[in-house]
Amino acid sequence: MRSEKEVERAIELYSDTVRRLCMVHLKNHADTEDIFQNVFLKYAVSSVSFESESHEKAWFIRVTINACRDLIKSFFRKHVVSFESFDFLNSIAEIPENMTLENKEILEAVLSLPEKYRRAVYLHYYENLSAPEISKIIGKNTNTVYTLLTRSKKILREKLGGYEYE
Amino acid sequence: MNEKMKIKEAFDKIHAEEELKEKTKEFVLSKINDSKNQAKTYSFPRKIMQAAAVFVVFLSFAGGALCFVPTVEISIDINPSIELGVNTFGRIVSVEGQNSDGKALADSLDIRFLNYSDAVNKIVESEKISSLLSKDEILTISVIGNGRMQSKQSKKILTNMRSFAKNRQNTYCYYAPKEEVKNAHKAGFSYGKYRAFLKLKSLDSTVTEEKIRRMTMREIHSCIESHIHDELETKMEAEPWENSMTEQKSTRRMKNSAHFHKKHHGHEN
Repeated sequence: MRSEKEVERAIELYSDTVRRLCMVHLKNHADTEDIFQNVFLKYAVSSVSFESESHEKAWFIRVTINACRDLIKSFFRKHVVSFESFDFLNSIAEIPENMTLENKEILEAVLSLPEKYRRAVYLHYYENLSAPEISKIIGKNTNTVYTLLTRSKKILREKLGGYEYE
Repeated sequence: MNEKMKIKEAFDKIHAEEELKEKTKEFVLSKINDSKNQAKTYSFPRKIMQAAAVFVVFLSFAGGALCFVPTVEISIDINPSIELGVNTFGRIVSVEGQNSDGKALADSLDIRFLNYSDAVNKIVESEKISSLLSKDEILTISVIGNGRMQSKQSKKILTNMRSFAKNRQNTYCYYAPKEEVKNAHKAGFSYGKYRAFLKLKSLDSTVTEEKIRRMTMREIHSCIESHIHDELETKMEAEPWENSMTEQKSTRRMKNSAHFHKKHHGHEN
């Protein structure tokens, strides 16, 4: 069991990362709050000792992704969610108002990708993880990750057009 | 500014709200404090319990079958896999590792004649298992009874184990009829793992017993989730395509009609 100080430190360091991952996977604030709290609770009760800050961050990324996927899986199992509720553009209620129009367009384009693509895009473009690192986190093989990134680029190019790509 | 920088700039604007962070701090710290208080008040007089268990065993020596024959079995799988035999008094009378890690774990634990709840708790709290759980591995607890009709004892154990699992992350509990367990053992698996193998095989017929043997429960569950997800996404991705296919068809029809008109009447509409 970790101490209060360790938990507070982790929340300060990783809350934005966990929040962004929840935004990539989930569509409402209630689910985000649940997952957010559960991830930090898992951290509090885990006895993993981290070799470095990057090792610790990778742990948070992996646990958050697994928690989001478990939650989504339980929705699919219960057949509660209809296709209409996957209208990603309209259901994105979490975009802050102080964003520029350009930022909003980019975010909406990324969040409108199918889940496995937007996850790969976020981890690669924002968290700067390489394909092998992403493959370890999401449990797919490296070539699959390269394919996801290539296809995502193509879809984003069609949606946004006019941007240079790396 | 290129695509990567634009994505970075957009996500940079997303932050965890202060209210969310505060709520989370309160929630986690209250759980930590609850757990500390529980540990203080929750103490089993272990030696007394063990002595009492030995005394019970001694008294029923004449009718030894009652004490030593398991009436319900509990299978615990995370990789290691271990099966506990529970007698009619709710005591552990056999501990069997179902794989090499399970055998090593069984040898290291002193849980014979403990109440099954304490035994399961001790296994889950052991260094090996708690280390795996903290790495986000999945633990399944299967209560194995005789046939599809559950006995009173197995129902009670199942209820308790479900309650135990409910309060823990990544822990699931099932009832397993004995026949299905026999099939699992024939294949060289504990029941929990065999169940997960069958589920994965129904989604991916290429998966083999050998491959599963080397995988942890988390790895098997991740594969299952991945297959379910891919099927669902394929279904969902097909729906927008259906709309755009309808549009393409009607565009083609219009073009064909214009072409036909030009061909036969010398001009397009």
